[in-house]
Amino acid sequence: MGGTKFDVIVVGAGPAGLTAAQQLASRGGFKVLVIERGKKPGSKNVFGGRIYAHVLDRLYPEYVKEAPVERWVRRERITMMTEDSWTTVDFETTKVEHKSFTAYLTNFVEWLDKKAEAAGAVVVSEVPVDSLIIKDGRVVGVRAGNDEVYGDVTIIAEGINRLVLERSGLAPPKLSPEIVALGVKEVIKLSKEEINDRFNLDEDEGLAWVIAGFPTHYLPGGAFIYTNKEAITLGIVLYLSYGYQLDVPIHDLIEEFRLHPMVKRLIKGGQLLEYSAHLTPVAGINAAPPKLYGNGYLVTGDAAGFLLHLGILIRGGVDFAMESGRLAAEAVTKAHDLGKYDEDTLSVYGRLLEDSFVLKELKTFRNAHKVLIEPRLYSDYVRMINNLLRRYFEVDGTPRKLGSTLLESKGNLTLIDLARDAIRLVMNL
Amino acid sequence: MGGLTIIVPVKAAVPNVTAVRLDPVTHNLVREGGVPLMLNPYDRNALEFALKLKDKYGGKVITLSMAPPSGKDFLESTIGMGADEAYLITDRVFAGADTLATSYTVARSIQRLFPNFDLIVFGEETTDSTTAHMPAQVASWLSLPYVYYAVDAEVKLEDRLIVVTRYLEDEGVYETYEYKMPIIISVYKNSNPPRDISLTKKVEAKLNGLVKMVDNNTLKLERECVGLRGSPTIVAKIEDAKPIERKKQIFKGDPREAAKWLLENLTKEGGVIKP
Repeated sequence: MGGTKFDVIVVGAGPAGLTAAQQLASRGGFKVLVIERGKKPGSKNVFGGRIYAHVLDRLYPEYVKEAPVERWVRRERITMMTEDSWTTVDFETTKVEHKSFTAYLTNFVEWLDKKAEAAGAVVVSEVPVDSLIIKDGRVVGVRAGNDEVYGDVTIIAEGINRLVLERSGLAPPKLSPEIVALGVKEVIKLSKEEINDRFNLDEDEGLAWVIAGFPTHYLPGGAFIYTNKEAITLGIVLYLSYGYQLDVPIHDLIEEFRLHPMVKRLIKGGQLLEYSAHLTPVAGINAAPPKLYGNGYLVTGDAAGFLLHLGILIRGGVDFAMESGRLAAEAVTKAHDLGKYDEDTLSVYGRLLEDSFVLKELKTFRNAHKVLIEPRLYSDYVRMINNLLRRYFEVDGTPRKLGSTLLESKGNLTLIDLARDAIRLVMNL
Repeated sequence: MGGLTIIVPVKAAVPNVTAVRLDPVTHNLVREGGVPLMLNPYDRNALEFALKLKDKYGGKVITLSMAPPSGKDFLESTIGMGADEAYLITDRVFAGADTLATSYTVARSIQRLFPNFDLIVFGEETTDSTTAHMPAQVASWLSLPYVYYAVDAEVKLEDRLIVVTRYLEDEGVYETYEYKMPIIISVYKNSNPPRDISLTKKVEAKLNGLVKMVDNNTLKLERECVGLRGSPTIVAKIEDAKPIERKKQIFKGDPREAAKWLLENLTKEGGVIKP
């Protein structure tokens, strides 16, 4: 059947692609085809564990009842960890204005898929798209094996490993290591009571926790722990550009993290349910392909670099992806009204992004990764804080003041380093 | 008449056994985090076997599955591979079936829906229950010859004859048998690697609703013979296999030394004989 043609083709059934598909199929009445290489939508998605919900308020207000929410995050922790000590900032609030929740991304994406299919989008899985069909400088469809399917406009939502963009010459070949990190994650089953007890949580309350220092062997990156209903997810994210400095394989890092005295007792008696690994764009906007739109195409979600995960600073991913999908749908609708899908009419996507929280956040933290990739933050500072507090709290008959303890604890750091890093951090975060 | 009518019964929605766990106490499936479901992988090899015959001799390949409505996705996948039609045999009265009730349902469904079939091609077994009952029982219900471990076949259309090659793994030999069609075939699981799923075929399956649902109002199968009521099997007892105690020795150092060390130890343990 050579005549298969759609209004819109979406490459990738993740949060970005399915949101775009649902919006177009339901609001614009577009004939939409979503193509997914995994066994089913969501089967290839991996994330840390948390979804910022503000974007759902607008897209699917019914999500509070319907979405596969595990726990609502009400508690945040940041920990500086060494082999034997750890210092934690623990934040709790009873006044949550902008909600976030923990979830299994696979279940969440399946839910988004149901929304998209209910709106009339055709979602086909188990088929990897090989490349885009480009004729006279415009994207007119996709190629998968010997098959070609045509669409007036193609939304590329293929995720961080953007092979379709690369093969089609729309992104530079091979992601550079500076802009991606490797995440490794485990899901460990515990009972609801155990989780509530050990993490001091009430029913349906969740915890989001980032840990720096020892988990990555003091290299730039970080670890995370999220609580689900009856499981916790824990993982490590390591900047790929520092991978070569790592003295053990990354899967050993997660093992060591799990066996660390702080973590060990939290997961005692737990059962490993799931193990996964994935690339993630760390530097957000710096990972973007040269163009986010062009003749006949738009790029959304991770493929566009819309994610901000800087080891210990995590601002969003699924929400960015969904919002960019929504904006792509809006741009397609507007371009449709103008009668064509060229770079000019689709440029509205760029303007919509500029005005959205996606690009505002990403631009605000544009240089954050340059500061946060500073190895001292993950090594010397983590050690210093823990040494400082240990010496300060230990009483052995020698009186100590905070100032002199600080000087003793700073290790390799000079006071100039301290001052300079403090200024850079404040300026960029 | 032209070509072959080949029925490929499949098991839709089997749990991915490499990704599930059993509770050590209850022996039930641990369902937290969702149990990943899939099409029984060996059925893809059977479908490939059937599709090759269709490519060579013409005709059509029809897949069929007795499964809950969620099985539809997996049947779409068989159309994506190249099946012409797919039938989901689904009804509450079929629930709780053992292999006997399932084979009855499958055999009678095929008889009623496609009385003029030439071949029924099964996968060797399923990955979740591994009984390999289905093809033998269906052959028995239909009183037809049954050949298993098939890897290849040639057809003489005008005589309605089929020559099936089977592979006997233990003996490492191939045998050929000639039959008058129709017959039942089950396909050796390590043969006929399945082809990729075609985008356009899968789109067609979705757009044109190529998976057809059939319930017992249509089939009118005897209630006593299907589902739980038609299932004499009961699981009397489940015992855990004891894990074998390993010595868990680790040798660190030069790979050459490691190889020597390994060979020495294996020889000592009686695992290998030195040349």
